[in-house]
Amino acid sequence: MIEIEHLTKRYGATIVVEDVSLRVDEGTIAVIVGTSGAGKSTLLRMINRLVEPSAGRVLIDGQDTMAIPEDELRHRIGYVIQGYGLFPHRTVAENIATVPRLLGWDKRRIAARIEELLDLFQLEPGEFAKKFPHELSGGQQQRVGVARALAAKPGLLLMDEPFGALDPVIRSKAQDDLVAIQRRLGTTIVLVTHDMNEAFQLGDRIAVMDQARLLQYDTPAQLLTHPAEAFVEQLVGTAERPFRLLSLTRVQAALEPGAADGDPILVSESLRDALSRLIWVGRDALPVVDATGAALGRVSVRGILAHGRSIA
Amino acid sequence: MNTISSRTTAPGMSSLRPSLSLALSLDRLGSVVAVLIGVALFACPFVIYRANRIVAGEGRMLTDALPPPGVLIVLIAALGVASCAALVRNPLIRLAAASVGLGVIFPAVGWSAGFVTPAGNTFARVSPSLGFWLLALSFALLAADALTRLRLGPWARIAAMAAAAGAVALLLVSGAWNDLSLLKEYANRQDIFWREAGQHLWLALGSMTAACLVGLPLGILAHRVRPLRTAILQVLNIVQTIPSIALFGILIAPLGYLSAHVPLAAALGIHGIGAAPAFIALFLYSLLPVVANTVTGLNQVPAAVSDAARGMGLSARQRLCQVDLPLALPVILAGIRIVLVQNLGLATVAALIGGGGFGTFVFQGIGQTAIDLVLLGAIPTVALSFVAAITLDAIVDLTRRGS
Ligand SMILES: Nc1ncnc2c1ncn2[C@@H]1O[C@H](COP(=O)(O)OP(=O)(O)OP(=O)(O)O)[C@@H](O)[C@H]1O
Ligand SMILES: [Mg+2]
Repeated sequence: MIEIEHLTKRYGATIVVEDVSLRVDEGTIAVIVGTSGAGKSTLLRMINRLVEPSAGRVLIDGQDTMAIPEDELRHRIGYVIQGYGLFPHRTVAENIATVPRLLGWDKRRIAARIEELLDLFQLEPGEFAKKFPHELSGGQQQRVGVARALAAKPGLLLMDEPFGALDPVIRSKAQDDLVAIQRRLGTTIVLVTHDMNEAFQLGDRIAVMDQARLLQYDTPAQLLTHPAEAFVEQLVGTAERPFRLLSLTRVQAALEPGAADGDPILVSESLRDALSRLIWVGRDALPVVDATGAALGRVSVRGILAHGRSIA
Repeated sequence: MNTISSRTTAPGMSSLRPSLSLALSLDRLGSVVAVLIGVALFACPFVIYRANRIVAGEGRMLTDALPPPGVLIVLIAALGVASCAALVRNPLIRLAAASVGLGVIFPAVGWSAGFVTPAGNTFARVSPSLGFWLLALSFALLAADALTRLRLGPWARIAAMAAAAGAVALLLVSGAWNDLSLLKEYANRQDIFWREAGQHLWLALGSMTAACLVGLPLGILAHRVRPLRTAILQVLNIVQTIPSIALFGILIAPLGYLSAHVPLAAALGIHGIGAAPAFIALFLYSLLPVVANTVTGLNQVPAAVSDAARGMGLSARQRLCQVDLPLALPVILAGIRIVLVQNLGLATVAALIGGGGFGTFVFQGIGQTAIDLVLLGAIPTVALSFVAAITLDAIVDLTRRGS
């Protein structure tokens, strides 16, 4: 758990981050969004003290980060940036081994960890361990960057626009993979992005920043239904709002009794995906099944629209 | 003539073609080399004969410089290389031809010396002349061009250099050149030669080492502290523009004072003239390339890489040793290469103020108008610079890991 308390950063007379407080619960993803220059990166970098705060403090699991030696603190926090900053003179394996080596892990343990991570990120160890970063595609570099950050099993991962350099197709896959891995490892993540879709897809909570201030820190649904300021409303996009809400809700919420013809929809899918399928196949309703394939009922266009109105 | 220019290919292109393109098409550099070879063979003396080491000599054309079988061998070899140069594109064949050519004319000029010198005459001197040098130059050009086109890796280049050095050593040790004036000059001052060689290397390598020891930290400092950077580089730039003789002169006064007034300095052998001012001057010249390249190399480290290194908790020292310096190394080594080649040449001038080195023979030779004595100093200097340049280029390539 991270508690950020009244964190402020000034450069001379300019205030870059102004009195920001927020809490990120264990094992959740907090996304920081905002316009360019809002102070997102600065806020993130104050967590691992790459930027020294002018005022305020950061507690990790109740411990003030100022009480931990700088380097030791960073060994415990994963850090991924746009462009990844892979060491060009070191192989993929050596890159991933960076922090474990600093921590003095023995060779066998490091080798096992490298293999485990490469497997986790779907990079065949035999093929990729000995490659240099320039021999990798952008998507592969990104995965190595995250694998390197996770090498020493940090409880907390800081990510500054980690998908910014990827094309849309690979980006969406990388986002799904990140969520899957995060759920599996239970890592707490603070992620900075420009991209509202990314924020809604990844964030358990979203922090909206503008001109050094934190305007709102809330769940995606709250952000959509109760924006604190006009700027937040504008940022989340009024036209997109119903669709974003639907994509945050599972089919379960609009489940109706009864049967329908056609390919069934999984109960764990979002209402947005269900609506999209209904429109595409040109039906008013489709059957709903659970993961084992057992029929649960049906979902209809009318039901989804009614649900969409009720949550908004 | 149109076909000549339109058919020539850019270097490197030839390797893309079928390797044995023996088609009758002319190559631009090859044609020049072929013409040079022709001129060397038929219009220039092969060796010069002098009655003694300082009088003016008379040239001997190839036909008078060797017995008929020798003439024939040199002619066949040289004409063979010329036709290869003009007609064959394959760089491997061109390299082989050039090597054979060099392998023939080097022993041949030694043979010629024995042939031209009248039996029992110990004063007569024979030296290679324009014809020989032109042949050597054209073969070397052809070999260098072929080596470039082959795009050899660093180890292959070092191996090629070692093979060439081995061949030269074999030639000298075998005694095939003993009748040449150059080796007679050497035989007359064998002990001094090796002493000056040692002194030359000590001046060049010692001042380079000192410059690295001082320049690297200075470069790191200049990189970190911006205001210092401009100041340091500007001062070193000014030093670099002082002509070497002037710098030696400037150093003579303070060092002379030092040796006269500080007993320790005198005990260490520091005097106004001699090796000390030469060493210091070379050291000062070396600083700029080392410092400037260290700063440039460190500046080239990508910002994302430095940020990631800091973010992962590498300490300042770990970042410097594990990330910044390894990434800057190729650029720093390129600076050291400049220094080494520059110092090997500049150390020659040290002889002017009594600093020793190969320059001793060069300036003695000029004084005595004994051109072979000049060459005895100049050739090893050039050879050393060559070896240094090739070796360090290869090392620079080897350190460019993963880029
Ligand atoms: N070292 C510094 N000195 C002075 N000003 C700085 C420094 N670092 C950042 N700033 C300023 O602080 C402001 C916020 O910067 P920050 O990098 O946190 O923005 P950001 O929200 O991450 O923007 P972006 O989305 O473009 O990355 C910017 O106006 C920037 O110019
Ligand atoms: Mg930023």
